[in-house]
Amino acid sequence: MRTPRALPLVATTAGLALFLAACSTGEGVDAEGLEEAPKASASTDEGAGAPAPEGVLVAALANTPDQFDPHVTTSQASFQVLENVYDTLVVPSAEDLTFEPSLAEEWTTSDDGLQWVFTLRDGVTFHDGSELDAEDVVYSYTRIIEEELSNAFRFGTVESVEATGENEVTMTLTEETPNLLANIGGFKGMAIVPSESAELDLATQAVGTGPFELVSTSAGGATLEAFDDYWGEAPGIEGVEYRYVAESAAALTGLENGDIHWSDNVPAQSIEQLDEQEGVELGRTSSTDYHYTAFNQTRPPFDDPDVRRAIALAVDREAVAEGATFGAGTVNQTAIPEGSFWANDYAPFEQDAAAAEQLLADAGAEGLQFSLMVPDSDEPAVAAAQVVASQLADIGVTMTVDTVETGIFLDRQGQGDFDAFSWAWIGNIDPFDYYHAQHITDGGFNFQGYSNPEVDELLTQAAAETDEDARKELYAEAEQLIVDDVSYLYWFNPDVVEAWSSSVSGYEARPDSAVNFETVTLES
Amino acid sequence: MATYLASRVAQAAVVLAGVAVLVFSILQLVPGDPVRIALGTRYTEETGAALRERAGLDEPLLVQFLGWAGGALTGDLGVSFRSGEPVTALILERLPATMSLAGMSILVALLIAVPLGTISALRPRSVVDGVATVVSQAGISIPDFWMGILLIVFVAPLLALPTGGYTPLTEDPAGWLRAVVLPAVTVGVTSGSVLTRFVRSSLLEASGAEHVRTARSKGLAPPAVMAWHVMRNALLPFVTVLGVQLAYLLSGVVVVEIVFSYPGLGELALQAVQSRDFPLLQGAVLLFACVFLLVNLLVDLSYAVLDPRVGTR
Repeated sequence: MRTPRALPLVATTAGLALFLAACSTGEGVDAEGLEEAPKASASTDEGAGAPAPEGVLVAALANTPDQFDPHVTTSQASFQVLENVYDTLVVPSAEDLTFEPSLAEEWTTSDDGLQWVFTLRDGVTFHDGSELDAEDVVYSYTRIIEEELSNAFRFGTVESVEATGENEVTMTLTEETPNLLANIGGFKGMAIVPSESAELDLATQAVGTGPFELVSTSAGGATLEAFDDYWGEAPGIEGVEYRYVAESAAALTGLENGDIHWSDNVPAQSIEQLDEQEGVELGRTSSTDYHYTAFNQTRPPFDDPDVRRAIALAVDREAVAEGATFGAGTVNQTAIPEGSFWANDYAPFEQDAAAAEQLLADAGAEGLQFSLMVPDSDEPAVAAAQVVASQLADIGVTMTVDTVETGIFLDRQGQGDFDAFSWAWIGNIDPFDYYHAQHITDGGFNFQGYSNPEVDELLTQAAAETDEDARKELYAEAEQLIVDDVSYLYWFNPDVVEAWSSSVSGYEARPDSAVNFETVTLES
Repeated sequence: MATYLASRVAQAAVVLAGVAVLVFSILQLVPGDPVRIALGTRYTEETGAALRERAGLDEPLLVQFLGWAGGALTGDLGVSFRSGEPVTALILERLPATMSLAGMSILVALLIAVPLGTISALRPRSVVDGVATVVSQAGISIPDFWMGILLIVFVAPLLALPTGGYTPLTEDPAGWLRAVVLPAVTVGVTSGSVLTRFVRSSLLEASGAEHVRTARSKGLAPPAVMAWHVMRNALLPFVTVLGVQLAYLLSGVVVVEIVFSYPGLGELALQAVQSRDFPLLQGAVLLFACVFLLVNLLVDLSYAVLDPRVGTR
């Protein structure tokens, strides 16, 4: 697996794919055979004469994956590859991120909401040739839970996962969990792996059910090939060659030359130029990520909500977002972006320097001095901090920006060793992920030490409320208190920005930043 | 010679053991918890504890060290915390790329330094010397990342060269050359500029020696004086500096590797630092120590060949 391998010539790959297809249907390789759809199960094949997959898409990733075990890695770059290799029981739709069937065809919930029964799709084949059944789902989830892997916390309310039929999985919960679908399908970290994979090293080998197979990985990239027995519509390309290109000038030059078809390495500064460039398409959409600043509420001066409110009143959010993203971000005083079902239009703070100064004076915090800790890996946060510092200077507040190495940042965050810090949360879909562990008293991510009994009550209720509208209302109330108390000072939702060559069609930039090449075709 | 070699190897073993102990203990002092970094936003007490146990980070330090050092003796440098792959395999995978880049860069550097330095030394303070000085000063002053980006944006499209990546020599020699040339030029120009200054000054110093004056005064032609009496004597310090440059390049040129998406050892070591991947970082540092020891040994051995007086000491 570690042997670096050059991409075979297109013709060779095409020949190989046809040869394999012919083998799987027991036919000889001949001219007629080429016209046959290479899929054996063909459950969703409708339109006959779909064009044969053509071309290998070259995708330049800005970051390098750490490894390929979906249950272990937390690296976004890994998931940009694994998105195309693995499947989950349900998936967020591209339109509004509501959950749709994937490996699970349908599901039912018991009246008390404590039992969820998932019916698996028929005729799903893993890349190693084995058939998907309920045992694979049980194995995958049990692996995450029992080995306490990265996403074990998403199974916090799961009492048991059982195979109650060959194609039926029953999950029993300790309490109602309305966001169960987001927990098991929000991203490929909850991928279904075959129950035989205990003998495999999933860090370097991938056996999924997705449209592409991971055929090789090396220090500089990874290669995927279209999977002939994929349960869904066959991919429109023969494969994907990922290259890890950290330097954006190299990625963009490659895009212009035609060496690279797709890249996420688009610095905000080049958006305008790329927008006008011929032969290059730019994809932009507001993401589910958000940037925020948290103040240490366990000690003065930020234990006083009015001091935090003074900061929230003093800043010009448009200028901060502009400075951080060059316009590729949308100001938001809450966490959830506009367009989400869960979003609320709530923006109580309007810049008012006089009011801010008054609040500080009343709180006895004139001439406030504090340090803002920012991780060096988060460029927008560092840029935003500079803008905030200059704005606060106008009301006599001295904020020093303390840019620290990310590993040290995490240490200090965990120890509560900060006045304030700026960072970003990425990849949330359900309001539980946006607000719960960050703001409930003693929550796992409540590093700022926020505690409001009213918010605790609302968040606890909302977590178990199964009626969607009632749940939305509960979160809206909690959100207002969180914003009013400035538990977090929310800044903006950054855009997902990706660029691709005009020869690529069928690709779209998604708000959850998932990179999916399943429906892409390539013009030669 | 054999006893000399044996004593050098014994010395190297002691140095390596010292490096191993130092690296291991210093890394324990570095702030930043590998488990927290690995889990990032998914860190909880339970998952953290489980990962710590799987990676053996919950063992006493002495047990961790002895386990690692014992494995290292047999060539097993442990498993990378970040990628779950054997450290030895990760390093070996990148070694050919780094050796290619180092070798080609030294070649470019020599092609620049030897002619330019020699011309300068032949006509010190002449117009030619002045031009050579300006050129080499420019080479030293241009930051390598900047030059790399210029080459990527302007030269790569012009010559249809790839903007990054690496192709193994064994797989496609032409592709290998195309992948290595731009990074090698970037590194080689900087190294070559430094070496140019060095070639010039050591040639000038050697040509001031008394035996050179004697050779000149007995009527030997200037080119012969240069070749036989000046260059040969200037070689010793030059080889020393060349050795240091080579060892430096073999331990990876991080910035250039990143600009060219070049999968070399420098980039691997940087990733290891950022993720506090201790096994990988220990392995990489140990390898770099080996490289320096080996190159120094070769340089010392070359003295005996270049200067017969060294061997008789």
